[in-house]
Amino acid sequence: MLLAPLSMKQSSSRAMLVLLFLAPLMLTGGLAAAAMESIALQEPEPPVLTPAEIWSQDYINEIYPWADDDEDQLQFKEYHDFESMRARMMYLASRNPSIAEFHEGLNGGVNKRGITMTKDSYEGWFYNNPSPWMKITGNVAGGDYNAYNGDNGNYEDRPDIMLVGNHHAREWMSYEVPMFFLEMVMHYYGQVAVDNDGDGLIDEDTWGDSNGDGQLDDDGDCLSLNASFQDSNGDGENCGPGDLGVDEDFSEVWITDLVNSREIYLIPMLNTDGNIYDHEVWVGDNCAGEAWGDDCRRSGWRKNLRDNTYTGVTPIPDIDEDVDSSCDGVDLNRNYQYEWGAPLGATGPLIPGDCIAGTTNNDVYNGPVDDTDNDGDCVGPPTPQCVNEDHVDGNDDDADGQIDEDWWGGNSEPETLFIQDMTEMNDDDGDGSSEFAATLTWHSFSELVLYPWGHCTNCQSPDHDQLIYHGNVIAEMTGYDNMQSSDLYPTTGDFCDWHYGVHDSYCYTMEIGNNFHEHPDDIDHISVRNVGVAFYMIEIADNPRERADLEIAGMPQKQHIMLPDNVSVPDNGPIPIDICVDRFFPWSNNSNVSHVMYRTLSPNRQQTEYGPREWSTEPWSQVGLMDTEEGCLLLDGSNGTRIRAEVPVPDDMTGELHYKSMLGTLSGAFPYTYPADSKYHVLEFPYRAPFGDFASGIMLFAIVAAAVWGGLGLSLRLIMKGQEEVEGIPDIVIDGD
Amino acid sequence: MTKSDQFSGRLGLIFASIGAAIGTGNIWRFPRMVGANDGGTFLIPWLIFLFIWSIPLVIAEFALGKRSRTGTIGTFRIFGGKSFAWMGLWTAWISTAIGFYYAIVAGWCLNYFRLGFTGGLTDIDTAEVWNNFLQSGSQVIFFQFLVILITVLAIWKGAKAIEKVNVIMMSSLFVLLFLALFLSLWMDLEDGSLDGFLFMFTVDAGQLSEPKIWINGLSQSAWSCSAGMGMAITYAVYMRKDEDTVLNAFTMGLANNSISIIAGLTVLSAIFAVEADPIATVSQGSSAITFLALPSVFAQAPGGAIGGWMMMWVFFLALTFAALTSMISTVELCVRNFVDHGYERNRAVGITAGMIFILGLPSAVLWIEFGGDGIAFPQFLEVQDHIWGYGLMFSGLFIAITIWKYGYLRWRSAVEAGEGQPGLAGYLKQGVSAFRDDFINTGDNDMWVGRWWDVIMYIAFPVLFSVLMLSYFIDLVNNVEDPWNPGNPHGITIIFLFWFVVGALFLLLNKYLVARPLFRNVPEGAECDISMLPGGDDELVVQVGETAPGWEHLGNSEVLEAEVA
Repeated sequence: MLLAPLSMKQSSSRAMLVLLFLAPLMLTGGLAAAAMESIALQEPEPPVLTPAEIWSQDYINEIYPWADDDEDQLQFKEYHDFESMRARMMYLASRNPSIAEFHEGLNGGVNKRGITMTKDSYEGWFYNNPSPWMKITGNVAGGDYNAYNGDNGNYEDRPDIMLVGNHHAREWMSYEVPMFFLEMVMHYYGQVAVDNDGDGLIDEDTWGDSNGDGQLDDDGDCLSLNASFQDSNGDGENCGPGDLGVDEDFSEVWITDLVNSREIYLIPMLNTDGNIYDHEVWVGDNCAGEAWGDDCRRSGWRKNLRDNTYTGVTPIPDIDEDVDSSCDGVDLNRNYQYEWGAPLGATGPLIPGDCIAGTTNNDVYNGPVDDTDNDGDCVGPPTPQCVNEDHVDGNDDDADGQIDEDWWGGNSEPETLFIQDMTEMNDDDGDGSSEFAATLTWHSFSELVLYPWGHCTNCQSPDHDQLIYHGNVIAEMTGYDNMQSSDLYPTTGDFCDWHYGVHDSYCYTMEIGNNFHEHPDDIDHISVRNVGVAFYMIEIADNPRERADLEIAGMPQKQHIMLPDNVSVPDNGPIPIDICVDRFFPWSNNSNVSHVMYRTLSPNRQQTEYGPREWSTEPWSQVGLMDTEEGCLLLDGSNGTRIRAEVPVPDDMTGELHYKSMLGTLSGAFPYTYPADSKYHVLEFPYRAPFGDFASGIMLFAIVAAAVWGGLGLSLRLIMKGQEEVEGIPDIVIDGD
Repeated sequence: MTKSDQFSGRLGLIFASIGAAIGTGNIWRFPRMVGANDGGTFLIPWLIFLFIWSIPLVIAEFALGKRSRTGTIGTFRIFGGKSFAWMGLWTAWISTAIGFYYAIVAGWCLNYFRLGFTGGLTDIDTAEVWNNFLQSGSQVIFFQFLVILITVLAIWKGAKAIEKVNVIMMSSLFVLLFLALFLSLWMDLEDGSLDGFLFMFTVDAGQLSEPKIWINGLSQSAWSCSAGMGMAITYAVYMRKDEDTVLNAFTMGLANNSISIIAGLTVLSAIFAVEADPIATVSQGSSAITFLALPSVFAQAPGGAIGGWMMMWVFFLALTFAALTSMISTVELCVRNFVDHGYERNRAVGITAGMIFILGLPSAVLWIEFGGDGIAFPQFLEVQDHIWGYGLMFSGLFIAITIWKYGYLRWRSAVEAGEGQPGLAGYLKQGVSAFRDDFINTGDNDMWVGRWWDVIMYIAFPVLFSVLMLSYFIDLVNNVEDPWNPGNPHGITIIFLFWFVVGALFLLLNKYLVARPLFRNVPEGAECDISMLPGGDDELVVQVGETAPGWEHLGNSEVLEAEVA
């Protein structure tokens, strides 16, 4: 009887259902319109806020969360020196054993060139300290062990990146920035949704101009200040890089992802000898007051402490005397082998290795000539045909089929040898070439971003466009100028020419700040201004060339993953999530590198009666993508191709679907994530399975009804019977006291 | 002169027990569990566990209370031995601690009845109504106070009054719920699908192998029936001398589940008729379904404005009655324990009600937070539930332990007296069944229970207890961030901390408890002389109207008059 109206009501109920579905849609549409209207109305309000109205006091005072506010060195209000830097690195490594391993120098052994090296080979000449460095990667204790370099955490599938500070002793900011980077990574790794500036928003302003509006201040907090507060670093530019409120709230998840997917080799202070000498001796001997006083802020000790004084008494070099500041030392950033020895004659010594006491100090001395027969091809006495006959320039100068096998000089110093062997012995996949596809080195000063080449003028590297591309990104991030290294002045044997020329590594030299010895008040904001570059280089380290190619073509920015509102959840089966890609984008259909990652959330903790809904989250899973060969619109309005992942979601489940995607390219790199910055989209999906079927519903109802109501009836009957037998049914309601 | 206080008849006892068993759990938790556990599939474990968890425990409780004729503390003192009185204190405390916030929850229901009746829930943003109400401390406290006042009035005069209130409220509840069910089914039919009904009664055989469904079925059965809480012990104190235990337990359990089905069908049909994604709606928290989703769903009841209005107040009145009768049993459980120890009933009621009101205040007003969806919830109250909800399970365990202990001692003494058979075989034969033989299968019972009851008490119960506890804590470890941090109100450490502190305190108090006389509420002519019970050598245990040695000043007529009245 109950079922009779079912068929009659069916058609009208459909219409009602449709209405019910539509009503919320129309409501949300109306709300959105109303919200937009109110936003439009709010816009013209003049910005008149003060920092205290937006941010936390700690943020305003540039007090960082990794140390107490009175620890000046850790707050970057005072310089580290070699010892305090080293101690801090060791401390951080001990506190973060899962991601950081502290090292000094290399273990040694037989290097790539067949030469036996020892631990001592990498110690500075004078103070005998090896360069401290940090290996940073997720599960650093795992992976392969590299016996030569001495580090664990070598993973074949993780791109490597080398970050080097302080080639030049007096360029103090060049080791403070890497230390600032180190503190950040150690502090924020593994954290989620930290409000870095205390404004109540999360990850709202990461490095660079994320939203493409031409302002680095993506969230507009600096721009909303009264103009007198907009240039907190005093560089003359309002809301520029390094100012409070600019690029101040980055994604910790992104940092964590980077650490987990890359191997980072951080060498904050390469030139320990020179740096100790500058701090402890040079400044005292040469400066009237503080190192950053007007007489000294732009001078200081530059080179390492090779003893190359020619006295006429002791052998050359004599190694038993004090540092002779008028003569000793090698400019480490002129000592790398690629095009070593000043083919241009521009800045090198006219006769390499010639330095006589009392003559003018040559600050760019590039180290002694190496007259050994490196490739051992001399049959009789050495001749120009068998010694130095093929110097390092990427060419087969002597047409013997080997390239760069007998060099003129370079990599003669413990510090440069350290870089050489660390690079050449770090070969996780055993293919014979170095792993460092990206390298970065910090110098001071001039506020520049420099890319190779340095050794030639009016020349272009084969990757000129690509190097300019990344350089421009970095320049935008820092407000510095991007230029080819040799356009500043030609150099020989510098770090980046060697890494790029010999090891095909995209290498940038950051010329940070405006002084060698910056005023301590400037350490913090210069660090803030420059630290994003390190993260950028780490991100692109998987394949900087291809990234640049694609970025130049503008593909990744145009591509997008479907927003939750546009996902149409089918009546049953998997939910399709589409990505609209450029037709020429070389995406790989290997599901290991290209996939949609998803997880479902469903209500859990059934015990919670009075609280909010509790969700249980499943771990992320992934599903591969396939080409639908359907068209779609890219973000710039041009036509693209729709690729699709079928996300398996059970029909009989309701809750939230979280999804994001990773799009790898044919070259095997996995560079692009949609949405960017390790975010994900949230789609609410309904229960889609049939609610039940009639026959089994009636059956179970009959069973349950029989068991429960039948049982109850039986019990009551028994009770009544018992009552009658015992004493009759009492009048229970009226009866009482 | 009547010396003891009793229900007037068997149905009085049954109505009171049903009133205790049926609470908000039947009306708002059951539909949610059905929704979250694949509909009809859930009914199978839920029904099975009624017979192997809830009813056997209630049988045990009735049997214990009927002989001990005291509340929980006395029952454990008599049956468990002098050093186990603290278990009764634990049982009483858990129930009372739940009462602290349950009064507030009942107050919510009462307020929603008022709102529904005065039209305050129609054509309005239900989320806003809820948020405003919860944030208004004075309103919440007013309704909490009202609930406690009603409860006090109901129990002030003892068993007969309790019985009367329960009979009235429970009969009304049945009628109201049937009315709501009628309107709700009408809605579901009008929508043309009857899908709420089908969802609730369709089994997905594949889902039956999911442990989650079974664990949730067990927990629903364990909580909604009040088995193990000590309610049945308390009401058994007022049984007449020759009252049945087994059949009453079955009746109470089956009635409880009957109401669950009716309430479940009412809620699900209404929601399925109206909501676009009904499963998403019913899988919200209990209070969210009840106070946010249902008012907006009910507004669309058939019959226009009148239908919606009817549906609203009828449902919330039923809910209020369910909450109130549970509140009555909670307060009575505590009061009974005071009275057992020589307090005047008036004083005991006053103390209990005052305590419940004052200690409930923090739950009413503290930590009113907002969830991610902008809905207010009382976090302090939730934390209380988090801590004491599972403490309840121990009360059930203590009952089982008492029964195990009784069986073992009974067999040992029989062996020592040369009457029993030593060894495992003897224990299995004479020890395991001792409690059942001595206290359940007696002449005044309509129905006798078989060996199955022993199997449940000795094997099924401990296994299920462990499964429930383990699954709960595993769930916490997996889903709660930082579960071991003692400062985390949703963590595990805080539960253990409270349990440990309270448990340790009660252990210390044990010797003060057993140093006091205990007055048993024994009806005239009942065959439950103390000498027949394990605690027979406890000379401080006396019947109402007697004096305990050394405590003559407490045996005075004032106490007795209060008892009699």
